[in-house]
Amino acid sequence: MSFKLSEFFDVRKIPCARESILYGAAGSLALGLGHFLATSRVKRSCDFGVGGFILTTLGCWFYCRYNNAKLRIQQRTIEEGIKNKFLYESSQFAPERENISNQGSSP
Amino acid sequence: MAYPMQIALQNASSPLMEELLHFHDHALMVILLISTSVFYMITMTLTTKLTHINATDAPITETVWTILPSIILVTIALPSLQILYLMDEINNPFLTIKALGHQWYWSYEYTDYKDLSFDSYMILTKELKNGHFRLLEVDHRMIVPTKSPIRILVSAEDVLHSWAVPSLGVKIDAVPGRLNQTTISTHLPGLFYGQCSEICGANHSFMPIVIEAVPISHFEDWSWATTQ
Repeated sequence: MSFKLSEFFDVRKIPCARESILYGAAGSLALGLGHFLATSRVKRSCDFGVGGFILTTLGCWFYCRYNNAKLRIQQRTIEEGIKNKFLYESSQFAPERENISNQGSSP
Repeated sequence: MAYPMQIALQNASSPLMEELLHFHDHALMVILLISTSVFYMITMTLTTKLTHINATDAPITETVWTILPSIILVTIALPSLQILYLMDEINNPFLTIKALGHQWYWSYEYTDYKDLSFDSYMILTKELKNGHFRLLEVDHRMIVPTKSPIRILVSAEDVLHSWAVPSLGVKIDAVPGRLNQTTISTHLPGLFYGQCSEICGANHSFMPIVIEAVPISHFEDWSWATTQ
């Protein structure tokens, strides 16, 4: 899928945007169509459709961004750990030595 | 690096700018959804055939349209404040560079080294080489090491200037008689362009900033060669 609502909101480039919009569209269709099939009320079904789009998009967006944020933090921790491992290898500050000394001191 | 007709933010070259971009995307999604709902509500209001001339109170509606915007504002404010305080963190810079604004060029002083300072003038259009960018290239770039927090002290010698590098998420005013401090950290080598961001006279548009981030070994070679 390749569209952009504007230069600012290019769904190709923004993480989670494409999935959120797609799920939002699907949720909007499901809710709106389902309500119409159940009640045959057009305008109220449109309200449900728009509301469904907003809620589904928002929910997917928050869920995806939260998971992305966790991954980013893990990535930074790993990068820092790799850097420290190279930097302090074979020195008294080596992470392996700290783990060994902690294990040795525990009863 | 900016590209023609760009109106969005530049790609991030520092961890701080990455966080700012993420927040910008988040705020933009919230704004998009609010705009969609408001547009829909206005359209429905204008096209309805229902009329009610005796509406005097609507407590539930008023409660909803007070609580919901408050929740939305909180979801925007929390990451905003997080980044705001992240920007002010002191993180033990390895190097200090002074950037001084003049009319109409920047000068950089590496006071951690002996006698390392230079002026940075814009390269004129007629003197550009192939592949250079018009109004952005300078004769002496500010060389910095990658993956190192660097303290930048910004001031000015004459009038107000502003030292701005969008891809690093930095814009800081250069005020005569005042030292403003910021910290930058690039995680990749490369060239990062910026321009003066405070009106400072006739050639305000012609005093760009170019940061060249290089691995620390290259930076040491350069600093040694320059101070000889």
